[in-house]
Amino acid sequence: MSRYPRLQSLQEISEVMKRYYVQRSIMARLRPVAYVTSGAPVEILEAMGILTLYPENYGALCGAQGAAVGLCQVSESAGYPADLCSYARSHLGAAMSPKQAPLHGLPRPDLLVCCTNICGTVLKWYEALAEVYRVPLFVLDVPFQRTTPPEPHIVAYVSEQLHELIAWLQAHTGRRLKQERLRQTLQYAREAVSLWQEILAFGQHRPSPINAPDLFVAMAPIVTLRGTRKAVECYRHLKAELEERVARGIGAVPGERYRLLWDNIAIWYRLYRFFRPFMDAGACFVADTYTNAWTVALEVDEPFTGMALAYTGVFINLDLSTRLQTIMKLARRFQVDGVVMHANRSCKPFSITQYEVREALRAELGLPVLILEADMTDSRLYNDGAIQERIAAFLESL
Amino acid sequence: MYTAGIDIGAITAKAAILRDGELLATAAIPAGYDRARAAGRVLELALAQAGISRDQIVRLIGTGYGRVLVHGADRTVTEVTCHARGAHYLCPEVRTVIDIGGQDSKAISVGADGRVLEFVMNDKCAAGTGRFLEVMAQALEEDLAGFGALALAASRRVTISSTCTVFAESEVITHLAAGADKAALAAGIHEAIATRLATLVGRIPVRDVVVLTGGVALNVGVVRMLEEKLERRIVVPGYAQLAGAIGAALIAYTDVMDR
Ligand code: SF4
Repeated sequence: MSRYPRLQSLQEISEVMKRYYVQRSIMARLRPVAYVTSGAPVEILEAMGILTLYPENYGALCGAQGAAVGLCQVSESAGYPADLCSYARSHLGAAMSPKQAPLHGLPRPDLLVCCTNICGTVLKWYEALAEVYRVPLFVLDVPFQRTTPPEPHIVAYVSEQLHELIAWLQAHTGRRLKQERLRQTLQYAREAVSLWQEILAFGQHRPSPINAPDLFVAMAPIVTLRGTRKAVECYRHLKAELEERVARGIGAVPGERYRLLWDNIAIWYRLYRFFRPFMDAGACFVADTYTNAWTVALEVDEPFTGMALAYTGVFINLDLSTRLQTIMKLARRFQVDGVVMHANRSCKPFSITQYEVREALRAELGLPVLILEADMTDSRLYNDGAIQERIAAFLESL
Repeated sequence: MYTAGIDIGAITAKAAILRDGELLATAAIPAGYDRARAAGRVLELALAQAGISRDQIVRLIGTGYGRVLVHGADRTVTEVTCHARGAHYLCPEVRTVIDIGGQDSKAISVGADGRVLEFVMNDKCAAGTGRFLEVMAQALEEDLAGFGALALAASRRVTISSTCTVFAESEVITHLAAGADKAALAAGIHEAIATRLATLVGRIPVRDVVVLTGGVALNVGVVRMLEEKLERRIVVPGYAQLAGAIGAALIAYTDVMDR
């Protein structure tokens, strides 16, 4: 691994995330805890001093620690089908059998906030959690975005629910939302998002100072600590380190020969190992659609419309043509030589457009596309021999 | 100058020897469980046929799933690249290669020079591969070649609806128990595999000439039904089963010439 210099700031981020889980489980005794989906308007809860935890992020952690399969089996034997998203299966497994789960599971929630802008899975998952923990559930219903910008009635509908969410949170926790705190939180979130955009943009350099697996590690704070000062700090450090790499001409992949684009969620149980053959061939993933999903800027002056717009426009809530445009733009801006798509068995809303996108990338940009079937956390769906074979053939054809 | 290619597949080990870039000798044997040994054996057979000794081979390339087990190989190249090159050698007009291997099926779009433009492979599942056909032939107690002929002779087809190889086998057994006609079943099985393959091939732009390589090319049933599904003629060149090994030997030859 020594040939691939690690970024120091990633170490810092990993430490921050470790502390995040430890601190939150201690603070959970003093403050109300809410489980939230990855696309939930966390700024509101953050500003009210409610602790948020992300079962999806926890699912990724189970995957990365190799604990997901055992936990999936727990939920499967309880009757959940193997076709269900493996984040849901891992987390439900951990909820049912915390003893065998990393960190002994997440601290018990007092509230559940489910936002449907990412998929339909979360709806049933959170309903199941409400039953397991017997706690109240708020469903923030976000319609699919078919036009960009979304139709005004959608924005109004979502923004109205944001007000309802605040009232609901107040009723259940007795905490009030102070406008000043919300402003401050949004400010931090905005700053973190804009730093994150800058960090992703570094992939445009030749050689690129950052590779997709680095971004998969680096993304944790933009998901879980958005709206906090900590996230902003982490990203300032990372940005500075990347600037230095660029100034010194250091690439994430020494001897960069190919520039690739990654589509879909990471393969958590093989985070770096998966990319190894690419690195060995001098192929760097300079851009990806996954970490790019957290780049929607928040509006501070019109907070509710701003949040409604941002949370409706998340990548996997978009129609095919907008997604296509986003991917094409990435491919052009980062001057990629090819695209690798992870057909993720778990995440249907992310994977469903891939064959169409592939056609378009080929027809309009003449880019070769490799589609690999796997799963983000359930390693039983990963066939190493077959995957290595496809990767090697793809690299030979570049 | 002699170059060689060894293709260690899931079911068969194949070798090809070229003299100055022209095919001289070939051999194929079952891969067995000891792939490294099979690699050595199949090369020996090809060498004997060529009437030359191992040290006369200037460059040797390994390909196929077991390519890392090819002892003494100068380098390894994937099957996709080798099949494209091999098919191009056997049929220079080729633009689409369909290779049905033991555990993988692939569709490859090929440039005028035999280079891979694009490829797709089957999902991680045995349906649509040589293994599927093998399991089914065993269930009906037929050898591969006879199995295809049987399918073509059928006047009816029994539809096999399971995609999964294991379930399809039990489906076949159920049909047999219900007294279904063997030929009609064979036809249904071939149609099932052809349908799977046609779906796979549809994922790349199919251009003529379409060439079929790999062991399953020897089965006329699959060839005819695939032609029917794709509504195109399919060319099965001589040595179709050896395309991978020939491609590897050709790449070895180009390697030497480019030095
Ligand atoms: S289905 Fe996809 S979006 Fe939904 S929870 Fe699973 S990974 Fe997340």
